[in-house]
Amino acid sequence: MVPFLGHGIGLRTKHFPDLLEAGRRADWFEVITENFLNIGGRPRAVLEAVRRDRPVVLHGVSLSIGSVDPLNEQYLRDVRALADAVEPAWVSDHLCWGTFGRHNAHDLLPMPFTEESLAHVVSRVTEVQERLGRRMLLENVSSYLTYAASSISEWDFLAEVARRADCLILLDVNNVYVSATNHGFDAGEYLRGIPVDRVAQIHLAGHQDLGTHLLDTHDAPVPDPVWALYRDTVRRFGRVSTLVEWDDHIPPLDEVLAQAERARAFEKAVLEGEAS
Amino acid sequence: MTLAELQGLLHGAITGAAPGREEELREEVVPRAPLDALERVEIYARMYLYRLVDAIAEDVPHTSRLLGHDAFVDAVRDYLHEHPSRSPDIGQVGRHFGAWLRTRDGIRPDLPDLAMLERARSEVRTALDAPVAGAEALQSLPPDALPAARFVFSPSLRVLRLQHDVRPLWDALEAGEDDVPAPLPAPTTLVVWRQEFKVFHTGLSEHEARALMVAREGGTLEDVCGTFAGEPEPAQAAFKAVLSWFADGWVAAVGAQRA
Repeated sequence: MVPFLGHGIGLRTKHFPDLLEAGRRADWFEVITENFLNIGGRPRAVLEAVRRDRPVVLHGVSLSIGSVDPLNEQYLRDVRALADAVEPAWVSDHLCWGTFGRHNAHDLLPMPFTEESLAHVVSRVTEVQERLGRRMLLENVSSYLTYAASSISEWDFLAEVARRADCLILLDVNNVYVSATNHGFDAGEYLRGIPVDRVAQIHLAGHQDLGTHLLDTHDAPVPDPVWALYRDTVRRFGRVSTLVEWDDHIPPLDEVLAQAERARAFEKAVLEGEAS
Repeated sequence: MTLAELQGLLHGAITGAAPGREEELREEVVPRAPLDALERVEIYARMYLYRLVDAIAEDVPHTSRLLGHDAFVDAVRDYLHEHPSRSPDIGQVGRHFGAWLRTRDGIRPDLPDLAMLERARSEVRTALDAPVAGAEALQSLPPDALPAARFVFSPSLRVLRLQHDVRPLWDALEAGEDDVPAPLPAPTTLVVWRQEFKVFHTGLSEHEARALMVAREGGTLEDVCGTFAGEPEPAQAAFKAVLSWFADGWVAAVGAQRA
């Protein structure tokens, strides 16, 4: 199993001065992998400075594990090189697809949950883990559509991928809440369908209510319903490395760190039996 | 429908690469009130466009502002049809945008050049790090090896050949001025580079631009000096130019062998 890292935040450009010049730190940092492939300059310097005294994990958005396109060999080599240099606690990406015909949509498009998809994803995760020389974490995405062809629930699909490919799960609590609301399933049933021993990381984030659907925007504090679901998550999965994502309209570092501290307090309250 | 067929259908609808398959989308995507199947697909289509609009605007903020929001979105939409993203790095999607703008009618004629300058500055900001060689690297070579010396330039160096001198325009936009200078048609060579974390750009004379081109293509110091032959004092001009390359940190290494 992977180590418990505490309560971290994403490494974002806006906070570089606080991190590089002022030396501010969270328990750990999550880095968007693609933002640090084959680059130098200030971003690389910040990454190296943070990594010197804190754990870092690499979180990809472009692996496109569910795509029918061939795996992007150069991308995998670049991720491996970055991982070898940074020595992250782990690497992760999403249970989704984003490319077709080598054309990248730069989105986390939902999979149809079918036996064909399952076999395809399991085969690809196995191959990627071999190429990267390490186990990976797969994250559930927020979605806005489902397919008529789907015959398996999302949670059963994710659990089965993890079991067959022997990978771990990055459970995004906000994404569970967003998708449950958008598609009308029970978020609690989702959590109960995920095997406890596979969850190695948790994501928390904010979203927007557009009236017709919730949109996973990462541009606001974690809302109360997601904190409530996080409480249920801690009850089921125990102490798991937790990270607050904030990617748009990013506030000062203190505000993001306060969200990580709030997660720590929620976790403590649940684990010490003080939850209401 | 197979997984491949389903992904082709949805990808084509979202990116606009294969429109007009609404009936198939209605069969494959589940409607759920208050959104029907096509409205659900449209959520992704909007996110696709605006995510890439934002990515390109981040590269070329001044170009985006001068063009205006709606015109910029229209331009990006048309650009993406010709240059869909082929890289896992969303930051690469705008790399042809400036050159592509040259094919667009009805815009300020210097906008493509401004976009190219902005894109170059963005690339330079995060280009790979490299050691910086001082002029002593040249001076340390044996005198008889000097004519054959060759330069290895920093990976963060960019050279732009533009149809307008957009430096005054960039300065005005950077300063937040509302009145910006009119387009200044003039063939201009600009160099963009980085020292530590700070990005700079400057213009080059015709002679120095030619010398730098020769040096970057693997020419020797002798070749470089030869490009100043038309100058009143060619040796001095060559010496001054080459020393400035070192002083500005453009040179990563010097060797007597072909780079």
